[in-house]
Amino acid sequence: MLGEPVLKYLITRLVQLVAVVFVISVLAFLLVHLLPGDPSVTILGPFDTAAARAEVLRQLGLDKPLPLQYLTWLGNVLHGNLGESFLTKESVSHAIAQAFPIDLELVVLSQIIAFAVAIPLAMVAARRPNKAFDRLSSTFTFGLLSVPAFILAVLLVLVFAVSIHAFPATGWTNLTSNLGQNLRSAILPSIALGAGSVAVYFRLLRSDLISTLQEDYITMARAKGLPTRYILFRHALRPSSFSLLASAGINIGSLLTGAFVVEYLFQLPGIGYQIVESISSRDYLMVQGMALVVAVAFVVVNFAVDFLLVLLDPRIRRA
Amino acid sequence: MPASQERFDRRRFLSGGARTVAAAALGGVGAPLLLSDCSSAPGRAVATPGVSRAAPRRGGSVKIGMNSEIDGFSPFSDNWDNTGLTYANTVYDTLTAIAADGSAQPYLAESVTPNGDYSVWTITLRPDVFFHDGTPLDAGVLVANFEAFKASPLTGQALAPVLSARRTGHLVVEMVCSQPLVPFPYYLSTQVGVVVAPSMIDPPAGTSPKPVGTGPFVYEDWVPNSHFSATRNPRYWRPGLPYLDSVTYFPIADDGARLESLQSGSVDLMISTNPSAVTTLRSNPAYQLVDTIHHHLGEPDMDFIMLNTAVAPTDDPEVRLALAKAIDYEAIVELFGGGLTQPSSGLFPPGSIYYAPSSYPTYDLAGARALVDKARSRHGGAISLDLGTIPDPRDVQATQAIQSMWEKAGFSVTLSQTDQATFIENALEGKFHAYTWEQFSAPDPDLNYPWWSTTTVGPVGGISLNFARNYDPEIQAALEEGREHANPATRIAAYRRVNERLALDLPYLWLARTIWSAGANDSVMNFSNPTLPSGQPAEGFSGGVLDPTPIWLRA
Amino acid sequence: MPDSQKRLGPLFWICLGFIGLVVFGAIFANVLPLPNPDAQNYAAVNAGPSLHHLLGTDDLGRDLLSRIVFGSRVSLVVGFGGIAIGLAIGGTLGLVAGYRSGALDTVLNAGSFVILAFPPLLAIIVIVAFWGRSLPKLTLIIGIASIPSMFRVIRATTMSYANRDFVVAARALGASNRRIIFRELLPNVAPAAISFALIGVAIIVVLEGSLAFLGLSVALPTPSWGNIIYEGASNNNLQTNPFIALWPALAMFLLLTSLNLVGDRLRSYFDVREGGL
Repeated sequence: MLGEPVLKYLITRLVQLVAVVFVISVLAFLLVHLLPGDPSVTILGPFDTAAARAEVLRQLGLDKPLPLQYLTWLGNVLHGNLGESFLTKESVSHAIAQAFPIDLELVVLSQIIAFAVAIPLAMVAARRPNKAFDRLSSTFTFGLLSVPAFILAVLLVLVFAVSIHAFPATGWTNLTSNLGQNLRSAILPSIALGAGSVAVYFRLLRSDLISTLQEDYITMARAKGLPTRYILFRHALRPSSFSLLASAGINIGSLLTGAFVVEYLFQLPGIGYQIVESISSRDYLMVQGMALVVAVAFVVVNFAVDFLLVLLDPRIRRA
Repeated sequence: MPASQERFDRRRFLSGGARTVAAAALGGVGAPLLLSDCSSAPGRAVATPGVSRAAPRRGGSVKIGMNSEIDGFSPFSDNWDNTGLTYANTVYDTLTAIAADGSAQPYLAESVTPNGDYSVWTITLRPDVFFHDGTPLDAGVLVANFEAFKASPLTGQALAPVLSARRTGHLVVEMVCSQPLVPFPYYLSTQVGVVVAPSMIDPPAGTSPKPVGTGPFVYEDWVPNSHFSATRNPRYWRPGLPYLDSVTYFPIADDGARLESLQSGSVDLMISTNPSAVTTLRSNPAYQLVDTIHHHLGEPDMDFIMLNTAVAPTDDPEVRLALAKAIDYEAIVELFGGGLTQPSSGLFPPGSIYYAPSSYPTYDLAGARALVDKARSRHGGAISLDLGTIPDPRDVQATQAIQSMWEKAGFSVTLSQTDQATFIENALEGKFHAYTWEQFSAPDPDLNYPWWSTTTVGPVGGISLNFARNYDPEIQAALEEGREHANPATRIAAYRRVNERLALDLPYLWLARTIWSAGANDSVMNFSNPTLPSGQPAEGFSGGVLDPTPIWLRA
Repeated sequence: MPDSQKRLGPLFWICLGFIGLVVFGAIFANVLPLPNPDAQNYAAVNAGPSLHHLLGTDDLGRDLLSRIVFGSRVSLVVGFGGIAIGLAIGGTLGLVAGYRSGALDTVLNAGSFVILAFPPLLAIIVIVAFWGRSLPKLTLIIGIASIPSMFRVIRATTMSYANRDFVVAARALGASNRRIIFRELLPNVAPAAISFALIGVAIIVVLEGSLAFLGLSVALPTPSWGNIIYEGASNNNLQTNPFIALWPALAMFLLLTSLNLVGDRLRSYFDVREGGL
């Protein structure tokens, strides 16, 4: 199925990906070494003897030169061993396995919400461009672009948690333990995270639809007496959905880090929250492991989206 | 394996949490297990909040919002604050517990008795008590626990005066102290009084020990920063207890968010040191509230500014006096205490047996200004100092107010916000002028010995458990007297002297007592009504420590 | 070049006016008739709007309007300063790389690609936690973080002009590379640079707010919009006095809308294409 140029492209990009992931692993590793403080103090506490501290550093290999430390760490990572938390002794990969689904759910739910708002708005708006509804929804979505997640979060908490107690202000219920509670705990953070995407999708879809509606085949369809709603769904939305998905894919990377702040505001134990907590407690291996996972996820998602687009539409390659 | 302890509470970093809790840190003896006068809020119809005389109902599950997260369940290597002690009450038992009258009474131990001069203590365990893994509790296990406590740099300090433990019978252990240690039974009600299963004492390398205790609930799972849950121990040694099928704790650092979680129903019960929890909940009949406003047993948690007496300019007693006089205590209590409490003149609240008026200065702006002027000419220039805190919104707000008060008196004050880990290291190493601090909650004043003793003063740059580095031989003498004398009147006099000396030395500028509160919806019964094995009432909620054993859910 | 049919519209000028007003307030905050933003008045804590305090006071009795006006300094210095750094370094590199292509371009392009692949917020949090959070440091850190994206924007725009007739003609006439870059390319790239820079400022203003919520913006009592909103959203202030958070949130919303709209309108006015980014 894959043509030779596509295959070639794939291989080039894969080589690039490996290179980028390598550099990222170096960055994640070095970044943590920027943090002040002595990891042995984090592990032993401040009262232990200098000898005990040196021993801990030796056990962790932290007395070795940096490149060697990096190679050891990389070797362990490649074997799936990210080490364990200095504080809780929890394995880092276990912590990530607990936390990452939260980020994933937030991102997915936020995009579902964004689509659910943006698509109907854009479809109605595109039917009569520059008329009242179009202008109103354009203004509304443009406004959303200027509401930072932390402000939206504050407003949502003020209205839905403080005033009418409809949703919890903080906390997380796992998807697997109780679906209803899970959605209740996820809804406000997802709205805060997804609001910005509404503006992006709306603008994209609206201009796409407007130009599609001017195409000849649409005029033909109209002439055949097909209802506008049918035309919109069947002939206009479909071709546009491709670019919509593409932009969603490109979005996901930045949403992953956008989730950091939202998780902190709503105190959801996702990766972002855990990283910030671990930075503060100098839990080096935790920061390292989680930073690596976020960064790699970021790159891989971008790559996958990129590649999917090429696969579906080889023209993009040349652009 | 020893573990972190420089974290008094790492969740406070960068977050909207409670204030700096130093109380529970270091040595594991700082915080009380069960000690309070659980007072009712004025005007409430309920007889005693958190106490139910009705027949308990079995079953159900309770969700509890806590103010912090723990490092782990090891009593030897993990540093427990009030949350740690609450979790300990869930899966472990302590050898003694604090009774409603403030005395330490046998709990997991059947008896704790001294020799003639209180230098040798004999602990007799209850028969037929089993850990969650089926291992029996006996004298050998207790000795192994003691040795692990002694070996740990975290808890070894607390047990410094206890030299050794020796098994003298199947269930009997004799503990020998280096000096008469009158308050020893109180020690056994704290972190060092926890007894864990042998499997936890020497865990295989690279594994984190799951808690295995004798307690009312059995560990189910713990996801750090998410939740800790435990299920009923069907073989609990206290017949009929506990009532709940399971209990789940959620660490929620932000005070406001924790309160909102109660209001929106995501937790059934939550604790707080934020006065707004009290003011919000006590006016609402849908909630039950227990607070420590009228608590007067032992020593409460204090909010204060800690001054470094070993570095300039706070090494100058007149500078410290000026700083103390420049603080408008009434305004502080009004702004940060919600008007719930009074300014403090010392360690003990009115009503406490240890309470006596002290020479602690009152607000006197003119006096402060005069002292600053004097100090200026003596030091040849402006008196500048840094007031530090962790990036906690309430602390930061308080330091902004105090900065403004000190500047009015003529000081030049910078504010710094340091993350929790560095903050505590700086305190230990004396790298600060003035730090906001919260500490000293204890069922007996002797438990604070390490923080005030001259023997724990270290040089700037070295480790000093006496963070303020206040070297006062009179305090040391009084501490020794309180430790060695059994006569209550002698002990009271000794600790009043400590209090008075602190008011003169001024290493600590008292802002207010910490008011802990526990708020619950109307289905959670009996959450502040623990009992001793004898059936006598134990002290209810205090110091932010809950005991899930007596809690039951209304149908 | 500007299309005569296009108009910037009145909203553009209103928004530009608002940005001007905020900048004016930030520059002249000291001479404006405002109370000291740090002056605490415990007799008027959480007061509502009055003649003395047009927007009321916060939980320490400080004037909110004054804190918002003084706080705008931090947001603007970080925003405009950070972008200036990004533009000066990233923009210059982008111009050169976009024009010269070749090995330099390949290296810089790959470098920027790799750095952009690393989540920027994560790096900023760690560096701020490590290095400190004074205003100059924050500005520098954020400015450096904005270099790769400014580089890519300017490079792409430059490339779209690099082979146009007027550039080719100038080269044929023997103009030096420096002259071509600064005389021919820069004026054409500048509109795009400005419109992207304004949107970049908006992004940084939001970033400052996010850092404040993580406790990593400038240290209090120095007000910044992020700091004030954070103070207003913590300590139960949302329940007792929501206006502490709401007023600065409104100010930030208006500024962001203005920056986005002005940047957006400029972009379509100068017909800047987003392709190739």
